[in-house]
Amino acid sequence: MLSAAGPTHAGPVRIPMEHGFSPYTDNGGTTLAIAGDDYVIVAGDTRQSEGYSINTRYCPKVFKLDNNCVLATGGMAADGQNLVRRLKQSIEQYHHVHAKTMSPSALAQLLSVVLYGKRHFPYFVWNTLGGLDADGSGWVYSYDPVGNVEKRKWACAGSAGHLIMPFLDAKIGHHHQSQIDAKTEGKPGSVPFDTAMKYTKDAFTSATERDIYTGDLLEIFVIRKSGVTVEQIPLKRD
Amino acid sequence: MEYNGSAVMAMKGDGCVAIAADRRFGVQALTLGTEFQKIFQMNKYTFVGLAGLASDVITLSDQLRYKVKMYELREERPISPETFAHLASSSLYEKRFGPWFVEPIIAGLDPKTGEPFIASTDLIGCINFAKDFVVSGTANSQMYGMCESLWEPNLGPEDLFETISQAMLNAIDRDCIAGWGAVVHVITKDKIVTKHLKGRMD
Amino acid sequence: MEVLFGITGKDFALLAADTNQARSIVVLKRGEDRTVDLNRHTALAYTGDPGDAIHFTEYIAANVRLNEIRHGHEASPNAVAKYTRNALAGYLRTRQAYHINMLIAGVDKTSGAPALYWSDHLANMTALPFAAHGYASYFCMSTMDRLWRPNLTLEEAIIVLQKCVAALKTRFVASLPEFKVKVIDKSGIRVIDVKFEK
Repeated sequence: MLSAAGPTHAGPVRIPMEHGFSPYTDNGGTTLAIAGDDYVIVAGDTRQSEGYSINTRYCPKVFKLDNNCVLATGGMAADGQNLVRRLKQSIEQYHHVHAKTMSPSALAQLLSVVLYGKRHFPYFVWNTLGGLDADGSGWVYSYDPVGNVEKRKWACAGSAGHLIMPFLDAKIGHHHQSQIDAKTEGKPGSVPFDTAMKYTKDAFTSATERDIYTGDLLEIFVIRKSGVTVEQIPLKRD
Repeated sequence: MEYNGSAVMAMKGDGCVAIAADRRFGVQALTLGTEFQKIFQMNKYTFVGLAGLASDVITLSDQLRYKVKMYELREERPISPETFAHLASSSLYEKRFGPWFVEPIIAGLDPKTGEPFIASTDLIGCINFAKDFVVSGTANSQMYGMCESLWEPNLGPEDLFETISQAMLNAIDRDCIAGWGAVVHVITKDKIVTKHLKGRMD
Repeated sequence: MEVLFGITGKDFALLAADTNQARSIVVLKRGEDRTVDLNRHTALAYTGDPGDAIHFTEYIAANVRLNEIRHGHEASPNAVAKYTRNALAGYLRTRQAYHINMLIAGVDKTSGAPALYWSDHLANMTALPFAAHGYASYFCMSTMDRLWRPNLTLEEAIIVLQKCVAALKTRFVASLPEFKVKVIDKSGIRVIDVKFEK
């Protein structure tokens, strides 16, 4: 609970002033990213909660950045929003200084450096960054709060991350799949776009069933060479 | 519950049920054996899977087997999986304030009607009668994610086997202390099919 | 710092226990025998709280013997191991729980099949082809994974044991100069002298 707790009620009994202040809270929510040969899907639900309460049913945690990249932030919403603000500033400054847009790989490295820069007071955020390489192929970079980074083809994080991860391993990574229809399922780590979209929606509707912190609305960002599009899909609101 | 590591699940199908478990025996991060039994056949149509402390898995499986045998001698009929679930539940609740560190999963067919039945309980015997699937063990969140996305109603024995196997294998690959192969039992009215699955050995 | 090994072979099982009796940083005694014969074809090696261990193993040995006299039948290693586990599990949730880790090894005198059971102080038990207790398990399970195969001869099993002890000599802080090694086969239990490199 994020609070500078003082006396909580005005009764005859004085509750001692609590001096401990926890600067962190977990606002729940789940993020997911799947990279293909010419696209990246970056998705996240929009529920923001604290403990057993829902703060809002619409607080986006997936953000389009100005260089055709999309960043999904899970964990503490305030830290996530601040981090995105800082990154956007850095991307703009880079643009002015170098007269070109920042490449996704440069942004990926920058994000790691920014996170590690706060090694001793970290942003409480699990990031997933999606972007297209110079050759147009999609990639996902996933991070922990202190800037460990891994370049992957699929990733998920947040409160239902444990539930979705093995599903993506099976459906996107084709783990333990001996008979695969290459036409609809593609190759491990490069599945056709429509298939990846289907699994993104499946993953979230399934996660919403079991994870109380995931739900309300699914925002799916799709990165292609032509730009970024957004799709919204309602999720269960219970 | 995290001392040994385990993954057990059961699923309902059309006229059939399946129960699966991993085969690891280890102490915290150290894997010692890869042939540990976590699923026990109680009678012709009733199976119980025990996830949790390996010591209590053995003790409780012995105790349940004893109780089932006594019940069946006294009643002169097989115990139904539903009755067995209540038997397991009250055995666990008996130790309410010093529990067995075990979360059982029950799967079977009703001996009279052949109706599929699955249930799980927590370590003090609170029963969850599910109509789709039940999971238990250290890989429970991974198993929930897999089952929730793969399971569908009215699967036949072959499809149910494939579904539970995929759910199990992919779930245990994301848990450090469960896995090292798995076993699946598919129970139908006329036969029980047992298969051992190879898995990642890390 | 106590260490146990168990290895099964073609028609025998082998148990090895180090013979240092230590408390904290002090070696109290060398030449302590941490093995117990439970019947003609089953032996046990233990580590743990010395008082508990001696008391418990004497209790088990006596009861296995009593059972044999009563029924005129020597129990199989499987039966002995399960009886022992049951006894340990029975004490587990009492105030006098025994702190004892064991390896129980033997051969079934009718089939001649070797058996080895690993058990810790929580009465976790499993049958294994090879096993170790104490810090040795962290150093030597991988060694045995590499070197063990089905149907080892006694000479080969001894080499596996020597390699395990050599691994401890190189990487383990404590020095374990001597091991009591017992072989159990169809003809019974015997102590063998195994040379370990200095």
